[in-house]
Amino acid sequence: MQRLFAAIAVLAAFITPVAAQPSGLVVSVAASVYDALDEIAGLYRAATGVTVALNPGGSNTLARQIAEGAKAGLFLSADEIQMDVVEQAGRIVPDTRTRLLTNELAIVAPQSAKALTLAQLLEGRIARLAMGEPGAVPAGVYGRRWLEHEGAWARLEPKVIPFPTVRAVLSAVEAGRVDAGIVYRTDATTSAVRVIATMARKDHPYLDIAYPAAVIVGPSEKEARRFLEFLKGPGARAVFDRRGFGRP
Amino acid sequence: MIDLSIDVTMRQGEFTLIVSDAAEVEVLGLFGPSGSGKTSLLEAIAGIRRPDAGEVRIGNRILFSSSKRIDVPARERHIGYVPQDALLFPNLDVTGNINYGKRGPDAQDEEQFVALAAILDLQALLDRRVQMLSGGEKQRVAIARALMTRPSILLLDEPLAGVDRERREVILPYILRIRRELHVPLIYVTHDETELNSIADRVLRLA
Amino acid sequence: MSAETWVIARFTVLMASLATAIVLPPAIAIGWVLARKQFPGKALLETIVSLPLVLPPVATGLLLLWLFGRRSPVGQALDSMGIDVIFTWKAVVLSMMVISFPLVARSVRAGIEQVDRRYEDLAATLGAGSFRILRTITLPLASRGIAAGAVLGFSRALGEFGATIMVAGAIPGRTRTLAVGIYTLVETGREETAWSLLLVSALLAFGAIYVSNRLVEQKGRA
Repeated sequence: MQRLFAAIAVLAAFITPVAAQPSGLVVSVAASVYDALDEIAGLYRAATGVTVALNPGGSNTLARQIAEGAKAGLFLSADEIQMDVVEQAGRIVPDTRTRLLTNELAIVAPQSAKALTLAQLLEGRIARLAMGEPGAVPAGVYGRRWLEHEGAWARLEPKVIPFPTVRAVLSAVEAGRVDAGIVYRTDATTSAVRVIATMARKDHPYLDIAYPAAVIVGPSEKEARRFLEFLKGPGARAVFDRRGFGRP
Repeated sequence: MIDLSIDVTMRQGEFTLIVSDAAEVEVLGLFGPSGSGKTSLLEAIAGIRRPDAGEVRIGNRILFSSSKRIDVPARERHIGYVPQDALLFPNLDVTGNINYGKRGPDAQDEEQFVALAAILDLQALLDRRVQMLSGGEKQRVAIARALMTRPSILLLDEPLAGVDRERREVILPYILRIRRELHVPLIYVTHDETELNSIADRVLRLA
Repeated sequence: MSAETWVIARFTVLMASLATAIVLPPAIAIGWVLARKQFPGKALLETIVSLPLVLPPVATGLLLLWLFGRRSPVGQALDSMGIDVIFTWKAVVLSMMVISFPLVARSVRAGIEQVDRRYEDLAATLGAGSFRILRTITLPLASRGIAAGAVLGFSRALGEFGATIMVAGAIPGRTRTLAVGIYTLVETGREETAWSLLLVSALLAFGAIYVSNRLVEQKGRA
């Protein structure tokens, strides 16, 4: 009996820090932009003293959580489709939906592998191509769209190894388990892979990889609007530029 | 004094025991070979096994009746039961076992405890853990435990079965002492005729 | 060990302890019912209890997300009382509880089934009622199984990921547990920190197994 009380006392001592958790603005952010947002949140805190909590994840999971009522104040998604999901659920504050960033696809290969050219890839002269799940993961959706546009999808589809995340694609390429992978330009710069080609926006307007942001209906609306303005401002833009994200 | 009427059908067989004359029967012996259902019968009397049909009456209490749909739960029967292997609670020590039936602090219970400990020579064992007792010691503790609740009748299932011949001569006096000093009616089950002859007022044979 | 790792580790252990403590009484009750009682619909109860064990944790997370979200009566009721579950530590505890419940209940059931019913019968002849028998005989004699169940449930809660990330998110300082943290850090390219979380997880796993073995020894001696 005494041990039970002791245990409860220890538990109570631990609980106080948890119960005192701050309830502030929560931003649900796509994993591929998390690092950039983390840096920007630091700048925001230095400038305003406000701490923003970031919730990273896959855009589809984040969208689902928000649709079910999760109290995020701002949502930064890796594609328009997931933002549509949230909008259709009636969770967006109207006229706050903004195109914040753009990105480009990059084709990468293992550093140690024999030199592979884009032409060779499109001709199907590889064994394995890693990409995000072509039906679900935004990067995979874009990847497929690009290959279809190049007329190479039918040829390459049997060689595709789908992954649930871009991070997993990069790991596979870094480890040499596949011959090539389709990722975002911003991911390629931070990894130990060789970039074979980048699909520039002006050459591939049909890809239009956009990161929309929107304020979510809820108690944090005011702080979310403030943070969104900061994200559109020059300080944040410098961070995004440096990390390879394109302008809207 | 024992006054009972038991007429039950169980999976082990049909049993009929009637002791209802006014004769002074303090110890009823039930004699039967192993496997004749003696234990099941005791369990039915104690209320931890339900007969398929029939009636169990002790004194003027009907404890079980399939026709009248009566089945008094064991908890309310006030029948002491000492199983063949004593079955002392392993998580309690000797004193804890003996006092298990006690309902609350009670001066009368204290006296009863002391008296039982004396009659059954348990004073040296009171703090022992159950696992450290011999077969005969366990039996004596189990008897004390059952008697602590002041039952109207005490059921003993082959109390000397787990004890070797010399020790039996040691245990038997305890049982006689119980009979002599506490006057609790006993139903004593065994397959050994000599035991019965030394203790029972009346013997009924099973199958 | 960095400050971040320490915060996450402490948070995870705390949440898992809380989840196990809350789950234990109902798991003991259900374990006892399944071990000792017969009734129509028992198979249905067994199935429901085992559900979180059989469903993929993400599916369980989805169910919890719906249940406590704004589209379910439960979620709406909580919202009207000002209680937030999703994205808070409560969601972490909740998912840990749901995931570990079947493990604890099954261990309790096995532990109780191993208790000789004759002890319970005998206690009844001594005048003890059902609850007293449970408290003084059945549970003490089943304590090894119950303790093992608690450790098992705690370990499972420590490692819980699929349901947690669904309904609690990965917010550092608020809902990021060790398991969620490892996944998220790998996801966002911070693998070095992920390794340090992994190390702590492994140490906790060793700790849990050590405690579990000591418990089994102790009970064995008694």
